[in-house]
Amino acid sequence: MVSCVYIESAVRDHPRALQLLKRLRKLPLVEIDHYGEVFNPRAQNFRLQKQNPAVIIAHKNKGQVLAAPEGYGLGGEHNYYFSHMLNCLYDCRYCFLQGMYQSAHQVLFVNYEDFGEQIRQTATRHANKPVWFYSGYDCDSLANEPMTRFTEYFIPLVKSIDNAWMELRTKSTQVRSMLGLEPSNNIVTAFSFSDALSHARLEHGVPSIEKRVNAMSRLIGAGWPVGLRFDPVVYHRDYQSAFVDLLEQIFTRIDARKLHSVSLGSFRLTRDHFRSISRLYPEEPLFAQNMNLDNGIISYPLEREREMIDFCETQLMNHIPAQAYHPCEWHG
Amino acid sequence: MLIWVCALHCEAKPVIDYYRLKKSHEERAFDLYRGDDMLCVVTGIGKLASAAACAWVAARCENEAALAWINLGVAGAAEHELGTLFVINKIVDADNGQSYYPAPAVATSLAASACLTLSLPSDEYRDDTLFDMEASGFVYSALRFSSAELTQSLKIVSDNRRQQTGKNRQRVSELVQAHIESIDRQAAGLLRLKQQVAALEVPADSWQQLLSLAHFSQTQRSRLRVLWRYLGNREFDSETLLRQLATQKTAGEIIAALEQISYQDSEGL
Repeated sequence: MVSCVYIESAVRDHPRALQLLKRLRKLPLVEIDHYGEVFNPRAQNFRLQKQNPAVIIAHKNKGQVLAAPEGYGLGGEHNYYFSHMLNCLYDCRYCFLQGMYQSAHQVLFVNYEDFGEQIRQTATRHANKPVWFYSGYDCDSLANEPMTRFTEYFIPLVKSIDNAWMELRTKSTQVRSMLGLEPSNNIVTAFSFSDALSHARLEHGVPSIEKRVNAMSRLIGAGWPVGLRFDPVVYHRDYQSAFVDLLEQIFTRIDARKLHSVSLGSFRLTRDHFRSISRLYPEEPLFAQNMNLDNGIISYPLEREREMIDFCETQLMNHIPAQAYHPCEWHG
Repeated sequence: MLIWVCALHCEAKPVIDYYRLKKSHEERAFDLYRGDDMLCVVTGIGKLASAAACAWVAARCENEAALAWINLGVAGAAEHELGTLFVINKIVDADNGQSYYPAPAVATSLAASACLTLSLPSDEYRDDTLFDMEASGFVYSALRFSSAELTQSLKIVSDNRRQQTGKNRQRVSELVQAHIESIDRQAAGLLRLKQQVAALEVPADSWQQLLSLAHFSQTQRSRLRVLWRYLGNREFDSETLLRQLATQKTAGEIIAALEQISYQDSEGL
């Protein structure tokens, strides 16, 4: 439940801000100069805040489009990400966003046109080569769609740029707005899934697997390219049978030949993120498991990781064409 | 520990009476009232006094796992009716323009407002904010010891353009007293949050017992704390664990034993 709304004075009259304020009109409104005043101070407890986060309506001044971290993406040469929001509606314990920012409040940027301009300029810099723009790095691309109306602006924008591709990464079922648009081969909606036990224990607030499979199916039916992301796969005693069940649940509804891409990776976090998150949630079994530090990344011991990835890959290949598969490589 | 911070006795009195707090006769710097899991400090007027009192109280609570704070007092407002209670969501220090944002972590039906903290009394009423003389000092200091979710300010209008009762001590107490049930609900919500934070910490007594089993380096202590916090929060009985560990000879063996227990426990997610 959203607790209150902070708004930067400078965007008070921005049309998107006015739309948001209309939806949030029953909440206390606090005017601020810059979102960092509320979002960045150290004296905040992410865990408590996550129970009742606020919405911060703001303007993103610079760095609207950034180079994607190494290893992020689907193997393309030019990968960028952009974040129209900071933080996620959901509360997934394995997600690096839990340790990324001091605050759990959701920042919604309203100056889409500045993002759009940077996307255009970036695509122009790599003329005639495919450029990927990832939107689900600092947030879930679609979870807040009724508020942000993200697709209404960014899908037509990316469609209008010949060499631009965009991935929307989501755990939500908010596909209604996309179903009202003409599908485009350059826009891939990638749905993230974990097995049922991991979902129940670690993905707080995330819609059920069944509902998300249903949302995927509707998008495919409407002609949109869709991807699957099994990242992170989390270890637990029954992960093998749980993963088999998950694939069964997905592929009884989804025609694998119609998938744009499928990626797979085991649980991993940078050491700093792991430390921050495990301090926030010291009782969380995920962080008490046997882990190793490898090149600044905390992950399962290599032998366990290999066993997990080998098993899950083998199972996946029973369902999907090999060319759709993109393993998440991070060992360098 | 929940700490009430009031500038004046007349502001604190309804809280002291409601929670039956007892005056501590050992303290000299500030008047301090004690109860179960609760303190009330009377700071005197002004942001510096408020900041000093917060730091002073916090130093007396250094063994507490978590501190929650409520600054309770009266404030001026342009048009709001006398006696209206507000939870403060923005505090601005008039001298330096610094803003603070107590986080709205407790669900409440109370009206919210900004508050401007002045260094001197004023009767220049502003339409968009309450004003007082303590809140910025309070929040500046309290945020050194707690998070913004555990630091709240409640203000009751004692003066407006039409009426001024802020100097009438009896009347100030009555204004606070009239809201004591709402104030108590706010305090209860804050205490629940504070309890959530405190529950995650390592209990001091079992931690000391654990450390006494072997000599631990700083690095080992850090690892030990992570493991002990995990197992404590998974409701492993600390006495049973300590008995099991007593057979281990070195710090390394103790940590290895706790790791094995943690790994086994965590494999079920």
